[in-house]
Amino acid sequence: MSEVILSGIKKSFGQNLIVKGVDLQVREGEFLVMVGPSGCGKTTLLRLIAGLEQVDSGEVKIGGARVNDVPPRDRDVAMVFQSYALYPHMTVRENLAFGLTLRKFPEAEITSRVQEVAGMLELSHLLDRKPKALSGGQRQRVAMGRAIVRRPKVFLFDEPLSNLDTALRVQMRGELARLHRRLSATMIYVTHDQVEAMTLATRVAVFNGGILQQVGPPLELYNRPANRFVAGFLGSPAMNFLEAKREGSGFTGKGFTLPCPVDVPADAGKVLVGLRPQDLRVAAQGPLAGTVDAVERLGFDGYAFLSTEAGPVAARFEKGTNVTVGDKVSLAPVADSLHVFTEDGARALRHPVDRDSLEVAS
Amino acid sequence: MKRLLALVLLATAWSAQAAGDAAAPLKLWHAYRGGEETAIIQVTQLFTAKTGVPVELLAVPYNAYADKLTNGIPHGAGPDVFIFNHERLRNFHAQHLLAPASKLARGDYFPNALEALEVDGQVYGYPMSLKSLALYVNTKLVPTPPTTTAELLAMLPALSDEKAGRFGFAYENGDFYFHAPFLFGFGGELFDASGKATFNTEGMARSLAFVKKLQDDRFIPQEITGALVKSLFNDGRVAMIISGPWFAGEVAPSVDYRVVALPTVSETGIPLKPFLGVEAAYVSSQSKQAEQAQALARFLSLGEASLVRTTVGRQIPADVAAYQLQAVKDDVLISSFREAAKNATPMPNTLEMLRVWEPMKLALRAVLQGGTEPQDAGALADRRYRALHRERPPDASPLPWLGLVGVMAVGGTVWVMRRPAPTLPFKRRYPDVALAATYLAPASAGILVLVFIPFVVGLSLSLFHYEPGQYSFVGLANFIDILASRGYSISEPLSFYFTLAVTLLWALVNVVLHVSIGLFLALLLKDPLLKLKGVYRVLLIIPWAVPNYITALMWKGMFHQQFGAINGLLVALGMEPVSWFTKFSTAFAANVATNTWLGFPFMMVVALGALQSIPQELYEAAEVDGASKWTQFRHITLPLLRPAMLPAVILGSVWTFNMFNIIYLVSGGEPGGGTDILVSEAFRWAFQRNQQYGFAAAYSVLIFVVLLAWSSFTKRLMRASSEVMG
Amino acid sequence: MNRPSKLKMAAIHAGLMLTCMATLYPVLWVVKMALSPSDSLTLTVNPFPESITLEHFREVLLGTDASGRWLFGRQLLSSLVVSGATTLVGLALAVSAAYALSRFRFPGKEGGMQTLLITQMFPATLMLVPIYSILEKLHLLDSLTGLVLVYATTALPFCIWNLKGYFDTLPRELEEAAVMDGASPAQVFIKVVLPLARPALAVTALFSFMTAWNEFILAATLLNDPTRFTLPVALQRYVGEYKVEWGKFAAGALVISAPVMALFFALQKHLVGGLTAGGVKG
Ligand SMILES: Nc1ncnc2c1ncn2[C@@H]1O[C@H](COP(=O)(O)OP(=O)(O)O)[C@@H](O)[C@H]1O
Ligand SMILES: [Mg+2]
Repeated sequence: MSEVILSGIKKSFGQNLIVKGVDLQVREGEFLVMVGPSGCGKTTLLRLIAGLEQVDSGEVKIGGARVNDVPPRDRDVAMVFQSYALYPHMTVRENLAFGLTLRKFPEAEITSRVQEVAGMLELSHLLDRKPKALSGGQRQRVAMGRAIVRRPKVFLFDEPLSNLDTALRVQMRGELARLHRRLSATMIYVTHDQVEAMTLATRVAVFNGGILQQVGPPLELYNRPANRFVAGFLGSPAMNFLEAKREGSGFTGKGFTLPCPVDVPADAGKVLVGLRPQDLRVAAQGPLAGTVDAVERLGFDGYAFLSTEAGPVAARFEKGTNVTVGDKVSLAPVADSLHVFTEDGARALRHPVDRDSLEVAS
Repeated sequence: MKRLLALVLLATAWSAQAAGDAAAPLKLWHAYRGGEETAIIQVTQLFTAKTGVPVELLAVPYNAYADKLTNGIPHGAGPDVFIFNHERLRNFHAQHLLAPASKLARGDYFPNALEALEVDGQVYGYPMSLKSLALYVNTKLVPTPPTTTAELLAMLPALSDEKAGRFGFAYENGDFYFHAPFLFGFGGELFDASGKATFNTEGMARSLAFVKKLQDDRFIPQEITGALVKSLFNDGRVAMIISGPWFAGEVAPSVDYRVVALPTVSETGIPLKPFLGVEAAYVSSQSKQAEQAQALARFLSLGEASLVRTTVGRQIPADVAAYQLQAVKDDVLISSFREAAKNATPMPNTLEMLRVWEPMKLALRAVLQGGTEPQDAGALADRRYRALHRERPPDASPLPWLGLVGVMAVGGTVWVMRRPAPTLPFKRRYPDVALAATYLAPASAGILVLVFIPFVVGLSLSLFHYEPGQYSFVGLANFIDILASRGYSISEPLSFYFTLAVTLLWALVNVVLHVSIGLFLALLLKDPLLKLKGVYRVLLIIPWAVPNYITALMWKGMFHQQFGAINGLLVALGMEPVSWFTKFSTAFAANVATNTWLGFPFMMVVALGALQSIPQELYEAAEVDGASKWTQFRHITLPLLRPAMLPAVILGSVWTFNMFNIIYLVSGGEPGGGTDILVSEAFRWAFQRNQQYGFAAAYSVLIFVVLLAWSSFTKRLMRASSEVMG
Repeated sequence: MNRPSKLKMAAIHAGLMLTCMATLYPVLWVVKMALSPSDSLTLTVNPFPESITLEHFREVLLGTDASGRWLFGRQLLSSLVVSGATTLVGLALAVSAAYALSRFRFPGKEGGMQTLLITQMFPATLMLVPIYSILEKLHLLDSLTGLVLVYATTALPFCIWNLKGYFDTLPRELEEAAVMDGASPAQVFIKVVLPLARPALAVTALFSFMTAWNEFILAATLLNDPTRFTLPVALQRYVGEYKVEWGKFAAGALVISAPVMALFFALQKHLVGGLTAGGVKG
């Protein structure tokens, strides 16, 4: 029993309401990733779960028990901090053993657990060093190891990879995924990096401004974003949004008309049309036209960033297509690829039909 | 078995009896050193041998002696008998520290010694020894001592050669105790018929003119201190000096000398009459064994005790019979001092006498340092006397004050209650209150009892007037006197405003110097390639480790006009020697130099730490941007140092503001109190001007207010700088 | 960093040596007085003794009282006890108070910090009389305990300020990590915070030690037993009403300063980092 249930959580610092009423269930054994822009309250929420902050109202349940008034050490959760927070005056071994020593584990048990974790994280040869003498990646692993040795019900990670370089990040991402499979513990992971979210998560929770926007498996969020924010936050480059009005059988906006899918109600009026750049191709002919401002070639294909009458738009082009800055080109959407949102972006009106073969943005 | 039991019984019985018999030891306090201490130890052993009453001796440092007595005796923590000079008698008496000398027989002592110990016809204390000044003559240089000032003046030119560092005569001429013989010798009076001090007299002007001429003619050295007198006399570089019996022990064996009475003033026919000081054994009013204490005190002053004190302690006994003893008769030194003391005037033990010292010293130094004519000095002293002498202000009713406190308490409560209720319950807003309270409790309790209560007591003292033995409530009278600058014009030294300005200047100059020197050295030491860095650093923090009263005494010596190292250096560099303590600017500079020496290491260490916290990349970035070293310093080092240095600077400024030791020990407020800062002024009122604690407390409150204003200003600075840092 | 030129280095060394000489000069003088046979204040430019004797040191160090007790030994012990206890008590009180002021939120916190600074502003000379009365009420006259309490509390404001400043610079996350690892508040404090604050603790300890080690007025006023006098009180005995025994005074001053200098030397690595300002990360 190690699910985490948040209901109606609110938290403010001084006059500022930071977490504005969050309901969220994290299932046992799940890898839940919380994403959102910087400052949206992710860390705060994590600290509320850990017990490092007290909720103003609402309820935190871990493993079925209400823990609002339980101090952190009795919640049986472990936390990996963004800055690692390794004890600088202790060796790696002492850092790892600290939590166990405090809990008065027998000496032999401590040694064996530390050995085991050190082995798992390839830290065995570093056990007698102080944190100062470790590289960034090594410190990160010690920080994780410190959480793992205790075998807690719930792991909390606060942007644990954000201080690493790209290569290490990719490697550690893999290790984290392996770790989750191996420990099959509940993990709550905070990041602002959507790639981490998409690759690691069982489910993703997207936050903005202290409000939970949507929770679900990564692909569902990618394919069926509940609102403009989620749609724009996940996927790279970000989804294009075009203001349009339903007119007859099409959406008309500034300088374009797109065919309207049949499942959009006729009285929709003004809407926001969302088109992922991957679904918009540079073509000889198309309903949208614009001038190329910048080009990103990724090898196999690439993205062109254009200005159109309706605003800036990103579109994909295939290898072999000749696109240069300054060109005027036409753009054609892939069939059935339109997301439609209400004019204010608060709610999705339709999504394209799931295409499982669709690749996730790299 | 039985034997053992008997033994045990016997032992218990014996110890019980011993405990019952052994009288509690009498406590005897003194401040003697050397031979005098040896003598007093022997004498008390004699007493114990005679009476069976043990005596417990305590030698107290002289600097803390009076404080220890005035604090200890009323709280029952004092001695049964103590030895002190009679100068403070009136003061002790007013504080009810003394019991009358009940076993004293007047005939045993010299009348002028008894006179010194009398208050309202009652004698307090048993006179032990006499202290008065006499003439020490180097017999190699002066075979026949002068008996008149005319003879003296005739001898001096031949004996003096300033260039060669030789002088005919020397004494501590800046000290009124040493000038008093001249004042009286020239017919001067210290008190008028009504017993009030007078300064503007004929005798005063004439005596000052006489000693000034001695100095102008280079017969005596400049800025004379006791140490100087001693070293000159021992080196044979001065022929005659004036000093007391205590000096005999300081004379080097190589010097042949004799002691004679001071010469007679030829113009008036009056001998130079020194003050007579009487050292006496006093019985504490709180003694639990008054009988035995009286017996001890009497014993110390007479008979065998006298003899031991004379032969071993080299004291001049005050009992008549001692001089009948062959050993004393044969002692040339003792009998010469006895001769000299015959002319002596007992120093009055009145409170009025205590008020004389500071104006007299001012007048003396003003004349000797030049700038004031002898005939004008009396008026100068008189003015200072009137400024220092405060009549007791009329009593004020404490009722309005109690009312005020009440109103403030009520107002405070109302204000707290009426504050808008916080949106969150208390527990929410301050989740850690209970924990915080446990962590803070011990320190708060300590600070409350031993810092805060004394502090509040100190604050409230400012509303009282103190005369030895009693406080009276006077409301704001002390503050009014200070702020209205009673006795001085505003721009005159010793007016509150002048002293405040000096204090501010003092704090400012010091802090600027501390910080800039500290920072400069830190910048030098920061260089990563510098060798011997550790050695330099250790050497440079040494001043911090030396207790500052020692530092102050060292520097005082270094600034001596004729013999100090600083002037030695100036002369070596071909400059004129400077008389440091005769002008405000130089005296102030001397204080500042000392305090800078003392204070820069702290700032250096702080700056070193602060410099370390500035990331090296910033300099590298600036280097890439082509910034010059100076620009880097201006735009990176300084702004980033600010938040780290500021707390230290604030603390440093508060410390400097109250840096009493340096002012007191280096310049001593010279010239004429000009370099005194507020704290040293408060100190003078508390301890040198008849213990005007209330007035001193009022000064302290004003100091406190000034610092409070300063700290709220710096708080703003801190806030601003932390905003800069984000 | 490009290599600094030889010239610049020479200039730096010259500057530092000059300052060191100015710094050492007065100290050499004290040494000279302590080693010179005469007992008077020597007024000469030359800071080196013309002839050397250890007589003053011998007298200061080996003097006995009337009953043959080795005074210096006892007074040294007394000084060490008083200063050591002051350091321990002061540090214990200051550390916990500073930690609370740095980490917890509670009403009156700002005011408390201000008050601490304010207590530093009232001239100490006037506090003697009330302190004496309070100690009498507590039955702590003529006891080393009383002395220790007064020293420890008078040193407290500075100690608390310094430590609080340092605690403020320690990252909170370390403590939170310990909390998550299961540490109680006391364990967090003892196992994580204190070890991390070592430099500041060292400096603060040095300050408390110095406060107690150098003070004499209060010690002389409170203590009534020469074998329990602290060393500065013993030193002040050489300053008499009529004369000062300079040679012994200087020797005593050196003896008293020596341990403090040794402490400075031992702690100099921490000294730079341990003052509040040094701990502030830019
Ligand atoms: N202890 C605190 N006191 C005051 N404001 C805070 C505190 N912790 C966080 N905040 C504020 O709450 C907001 C959310 O912070 P955080 O949860 O750290 O965001 P995220 O982790 O999503 O970047 C920020 O605006 C931050 O300034
Ligand atoms: Mg965060």
